[in-house]
Amino acid sequence: MVESDMRRHKITFLPMDRVCFTDGDENLLEVAMKYGVHINSSCGGNASCGKCRVKIVEGAVYSKDNTNISEDEYKAGMRLACKTSARSDIVVEIPLESQIDRTALRRKRYVPQILSVADIGSLVKGVEVEPVVSKIYIELPEPSMQDNISDADRLLREIRRRYRIDDISVDFKIIKGLAKALRDAGWRITVTIAFTKTGYKIIDIEPGNKEDKNYSIVIDIGTTTICGQLLDLADCSLPGQDDSPENRLDTCTIAETSDYNAQISYGDDVISRIMYSQKKGGLKRLGEAVKGTISKVIKELLEIGKVDMNHVSHVVFTGNTIMTHLFLGIDPKYIMLSPYTPVFSIIPSLYVEQVGIDVNEHAYVYIYPCVSSYVGGDIVAGVMGSGISKSGKTVLYVDVGTNGEMALGNSDWLMCASCSAGPAFEGGGIKFGMRAGKGAIEQVKINPLTFEPMVLTIGRLKPIGICGSGLIDIIAEFMIAGLIDRNGKFSRDLKTERLREGDGDYEYVLCYAKDTQINRDIVVTEADIDNLIRTKAAVFAGCITLVESAGLTLDDVEMLIIAGGFGHYIDIEKAQTIGLLPELPAERFVFVGNGSLLGARLMSMSKSCFLEAERIAKMMTNIELSDNNRFMEEYVAAMFLPHTNEKAFPGVIARLNEKGRG
Amino acid sequence: MAFEIPRVKYTGRIKDVTIGIGPAAVKIGGESCYPFYLFEGEMPNIPKVAFEVWDCEPEDWQEWAIEPFIDVIKNPVAWARKCIDVYGAKLIALQLKSADPNGMNKDTEEVVEVVKDVSNNINVPLIVWGTSNDEKDIELLRRVAEVCEGKNIALGPVSEKNYKQIGAMAIGYNHVVMASSPIDVNLAKQLNILLGNLGVPDERIIIDPTTGGLGYGIEYTYSVMERDRMAALTQEDVKLQYPVICNIANEVWKARETRLTKDEDPKLGDERKRSVLMEAIASMTLLIAGADVLIMRHPDSIALIDEMIATLTT
Repeated sequence: MVESDMRRHKITFLPMDRVCFTDGDENLLEVAMKYGVHINSSCGGNASCGKCRVKIVEGAVYSKDNTNISEDEYKAGMRLACKTSARSDIVVEIPLESQIDRTALRRKRYVPQILSVADIGSLVKGVEVEPVVSKIYIELPEPSMQDNISDADRLLREIRRRYRIDDISVDFKIIKGLAKALRDAGWRITVTIAFTKTGYKIIDIEPGNKEDKNYSIVIDIGTTTICGQLLDLADCSLPGQDDSPENRLDTCTIAETSDYNAQISYGDDVISRIMYSQKKGGLKRLGEAVKGTISKVIKELLEIGKVDMNHVSHVVFTGNTIMTHLFLGIDPKYIMLSPYTPVFSIIPSLYVEQVGIDVNEHAYVYIYPCVSSYVGGDIVAGVMGSGISKSGKTVLYVDVGTNGEMALGNSDWLMCASCSAGPAFEGGGIKFGMRAGKGAIEQVKINPLTFEPMVLTIGRLKPIGICGSGLIDIIAEFMIAGLIDRNGKFSRDLKTERLREGDGDYEYVLCYAKDTQINRDIVVTEADIDNLIRTKAAVFAGCITLVESAGLTLDDVEMLIIAGGFGHYIDIEKAQTIGLLPELPAERFVFVGNGSLLGARLMSMSKSCFLEAERIAKMMTNIELSDNNRFMEEYVAAMFLPHTNEKAFPGVIARLNEKGRG
Repeated sequence: MAFEIPRVKYTGRIKDVTIGIGPAAVKIGGESCYPFYLFEGEMPNIPKVAFEVWDCEPEDWQEWAIEPFIDVIKNPVAWARKCIDVYGAKLIALQLKSADPNGMNKDTEEVVEVVKDVSNNINVPLIVWGTSNDEKDIELLRRVAEVCEGKNIALGPVSEKNYKQIGAMAIGYNHVVMASSPIDVNLAKQLNILLGNLGVPDERIIIDPTTGGLGYGIEYTYSVMERDRMAALTQEDVKLQYPVICNIANEVWKARETRLTKDEDPKLGDERKRSVLMEAIASMTLLIAGADVLIMRHPDSIALIDEMIATLTT
């Protein structure tokens, strides 16, 4: 890419005369979506539907060939928006067939408040980078008659001398092979040192200098999704250390991947998993299922990162309490029964062989401590990863997962709660739902007059399904376009082919089969909308109940951190439109993506976080929601779009009224 | 300094709703204080009782419930007339029992004829209560709305499932709707919002909070109604500022305690007195919780309630 091509260009869309600016190499469809300008499109930005035709009136563009544009049309300036990017300031006319309605032109200019996951830099400032497991290269003096102390003492002496570490010992596991390992390596070795609560421990010895081969794997065991990252500990830094763009989250992440938790076939939510674990052989099968998925994820990470399994020395797991129990093969029975007690909250560090997953046997395993039966290590990790426990501001942290989990507080106090929210935002219980992977519909606009959609997918591939951020957009757009009522039911009398009666349920066709990868129409059904409303209602009700239990109101929340696997972006205004997020000023929101992984990363990168995690777990006061009347009441109130309490959503109600459909 | 009695600070007012037309029209709602708190605000329209009339001869009524209407029980028009002429009814509530798909399941047109007859032969406002079957009520109440055009009747129950169809007819033919939700403040409010968005004017909505019988869950209804009123009057919750109707007769008179005779269970005492008192106590409870209209059955219990209302409002 030539330097000048990357400049910010001004794009004027006609006939609405809307001025937009490009960022990097965005195509015209992406720019239009970013600024809320409607251009029809249904293949996700893949050039196959040919609907996003625009006319270049002025300026230079770069456009890939496309068979959907004839030669004459091409000469006349016709292009597909999804395959065209600006090379200078340009003026683009959106022809009638892909244009927005006239009434919308008069509407307040809307700049979406889209948060992407990169915005977390400032949250964890001041954390020192010092991996829990580190490697150091040492050359030992060979033994002689004058210096014939034991091999282990020789090793420790050298480390003490060079690094001034006193509380260090050699793990028994490596004592047996120590003599041979030192001599085979000619006394030039790399030792792997783990930081534990009882001091440093030498856990591995390798010949030669392997200092640059020190990796860790962090895994978030979600009820629905298991996510993992492979980190390069030899070359790691934390976001927010300075403001240079290179020093961001991604500097040491070599690979990232995820997969559905194989336990899903034994039940969608944690309760059904516990029930299954009580069946004969159930506990064992659930353990095997989750370990199977984890091994797959780890294998994939190592493949993507081209890293040798033997160079992974640290593995960090986070998960909710039930997932943690099942992963370790511990019977979770009493979590389900009143008064809901877990077997443990803090698990000491373990070796890989003790948990039975497929990595280098010396690797050290750390499992995040849990708080209560329904507030697990994932939220402790989230709280740590997002820096709440060190924050001077009052922060509300919300993890939108199958188990909705929230934490509230600052450096002085922390409270938490959790509720069953359902897997809708991860694609569960949604007819064409999917995780936020390639081909997932992630951004949607719907023309309020023609009801034609504008669809963008992750990777700009033909759509396969819809991920959480896409669903938020869809429901919000349905509301604004008047396609659904405030109770989430379709307005069946609307005249549009896209709204039709499916299998005993009304549905809206987002993409016709020919524009998809799956050769079936991708639809959104009333049942899907119901599921999503239930999920968002649980999350919102949990938040407000937690905040009020602390004697605060939502206005007192100075920062709201959203975590969850629903996509790469979250459009704050649309999330407010459906009532998932409260109507607070946009600048108070931060989106961190998978917050639990964030905490797991810190745990691996910084010794201070290792101690901090337990402090957080012990410091959190849990508010039980399962028998909480206020929560139930808030839940019913939130089972409406955006909410039964209209006063809490004045902006949304005003926008709906603007369309005459308050 | 003289002692000052603390007062509730009211910020809202219940909307006025009128049922019927002409001089006999009945106005309900309008309260600016909690029920009967006349020392703090006003109840410009005192609560009303609607006499219940069935559209067919009841099969399982107690002998002592039938007694006051024994001469007219087979004829809904005569029954309604007797309520007005003999017992002084100011409102008639016609229950369309015969249309119930789980019961006689009479054809809509047959039932509509009865509605037409009754509405044409009375001069007091009419409340028409459907089957509470969402599907059946759509066609039934739709036709009722049509044949009662110009009479400004109250039509219901309207649920979250059929509010669109019935609400649209109520708008078209200028009737009042009774918005029915299952004993929950939020659900009541949601339905009112939906009806409002559909275009039903505020002065045409009455809340049916769903009523439990005495000894059969009336306390749930009580606290929900109480909270409806608190939200409406002190928390500026405009979507709850509507009058409330309670269809209580049905609930009380089907209870075992109104059916057992003294011979069957001597501890319970005289069955007539007992049933009448049960209906009266249930109704009284609901009035205190905030009911604006009560649908009642027995003239004796109605007399007791009228007396209570008169005592508390004068």
